Amino acid sequence: MTEPPAVASPGTAVSSEFTGLASAERIAAAAAALQRNGIRPLLAATGADARGLVGSLLADGAEVYNNTSQTLEAIGVADDIERSGRYQPLRLRLYRMDREMQRREMRILAASPDYVVGSVHALTEGGSLLIASASGSQLGPLVSGAGQVILVIGAQETVPDVAAGVRRIYEYCLPLEDARAWRACRVPSG
Amino acid sequence: MFDYDARPVTPGVVLVGTPASRGGYAIRDFLSRNGYPFEWVDAGQPDAVRAVLGAAEVEPSALPLCILPDGSRLTSATVEQVAAGLGMVAAPSLPEYDLTIIGAGPAGLAAAVNAASEGLRTVVVEAVAPGGQAGTTSMIENYLGFPNGISGSELATRATVQARRFGAELLLARPLIGVSAGGPGYVAELSDGTLVRGRAVLFASGVEWRRLDVPGIDDLLGAGVYYGAGPSEALACTGSRVVVAGGGNSAGQAVVRFSRYARRVTLLVRGRGLGASMSQYLIDQVSAIPDVEVRVRTQVAGLEAGDRLRAVIVRSGDGAGPARLPADALFICIGGTPRTGGAAGIGLAASTAGYLVTGGDAATDPGGSWPLPREPLPLETSVPGVFAAGDVRCGSVKRCAAAIGEGSMAVALVHRRLAEAGGD
Repeated sequence: MTEPPAVASPGTAVSSEFTGLASAERIAAAAAALQRNGIRPLLAATGADARGLVGSLLADGAEVYNNTSQTLEAIGVADDIERSGRYQPLRLRLYRMDREMQRREMRILAASPDYVVGSVHALTEGGSLLIASASGSQLGPLVSGAGQVILVIGAQETVPDVAAGVRRIYEYCLPLEDARAWRACRVPSG
Repeated sequence: MFDYDARPVTPGVVLVGTPASRGGYAIRDFLSRNGYPFEWVDAGQPDAVRAVLGAAEVEPSALPLCILPDGSRLTSATVEQVAAGLGMVAAPSLPEYDLTIIGAGPAGLAAAVNAASEGLRTVVVEAVAPGGQAGTTSMIENYLGFPNGISGSELATRATVQARRFGAELLLARPLIGVSAGGPGYVAELSDGTLVRGRAVLFASGVEWRRLDVPGIDDLLGAGVYYGAGPSEALACTGSRVVVAGGGNSAGQAVVRFSRYARRVTLLVRGRGLGASMSQYLIDQVSAIPDVEVRVRTQVAGLEAGDRLRAVIVRSGDGAGPARLPADALFICIGGTPRTGGAAGIGLAASTAGYLVTGGDAATDPGGSWPLPREPLPLETSVPGVFAAGDVRCGSVKRCAAAIGEGSMAVALVHRRLAEAGGD
């Protein structure tokens, strides 16, 4: 998609339409659709359960890249990956690299981790996963570069269809991410 | 422009200090070489200080001030306190090891990987960080199997992961105090009193930078004067004038690294040229960088400073008087002296320059007293069961690949020694 739909532009207030939790029926429909698409769904009742599930899926000692995600931070998965000592957290390894001298090593490391752990901006009842990335660096590992992809998806991220998912990105996720990117990097996300 | 937002999402270390602080530099260097993310806050920048401390000013006596990820604060912080606060100081897990390796540079890590992968109970003792001198190298381009080069830090990271994967233990952030005979093997004592028992010992302790004999230099360490390539300082050199002293590969690699950041880099070489001491690929790279000036037959004669370095006084071999070279940073890479501090107590024979003598030379060395009817094994020192590999060994080739080769080879010799001593 090269042109945004006719919705709010970055910087506008966050829509409250997308903060509510999806119904159990919608979540079940989305999970079944993911299964049909070859993606293994695991249902967790709480954030703590989801954190435990992720831990059970990651192999000790593996190279793990955790995408920037409020969901992962909120439930403690980011902390587990970066600070538990169980894994090789690639964010930390990349952070300390010399961007002038080691750009090639950074590109290779970031593109092909053993695991990438992230989230999505929307999951539809039909099983479509919608992910937006400002630089695109998250997309390569998610669609093909990583050995395994683990996505932690909150019930509030489950929407009826792709159109609703795109609106969620532009009206809810983008304003929040724009503010985060500005605080963290002094750059806009859009 | 494609870029990675690879900052850790969990809290890291925040270090508040003055740019001219030796203690602050020591912690920055330690964290950088150990791969710990940290945020450096200049205590002279009120807004930045307020953002992390809630107040615009900090008591000078509290500097350097370190905020650990759990929020606890260390005032007048030291490297040892920071290492302990980060949980880096672990006790050995076993009462005895088959092999104690002193030093986690290329030779030590290669030995650790090979020893642990062959089932030896292996422990590595390292004073600062894995990688040794090579770990601070910006890019090694002649190491076999990496046609596009590999940075020293990445090589060290991979080797450390590999060694741990095979079960080797790494005891970091504590210097070796000494090694003594104990039971069937040897006991290594670390600076915090930790004792490590090993049936055999491998000294792979490498070298430390040779000190430059210039008045007032010690007062400027960390305040514009640094030994080695100072990887933690590269970004801080953006737009500045950098001087590198030395004619070897370390100096060449430092020039290449700092030329990416600095406005101008000047390389001071004591000899008549670079050919005798620097690899040709590095000579070619250094020569091709526009903002790099190479001054041969030139030495550092003095330093000019206020609260930090302002200029380097140089003297050339053409008989001209001293000249002033304005500089914001001086990186000294003038070769090394062997790091054998912990070897003295056990009486290892050493060359006049202090390098550990091994093999046939160890049996005949006047300083040694070889006790066995057999000759020392090729990398064995003058004490049976104590080996040396890499830069610390007398006669070694001072190259990363050679050190890795020696560290790997040492393990086969350790096996022979352990079989001889029984129990292998």
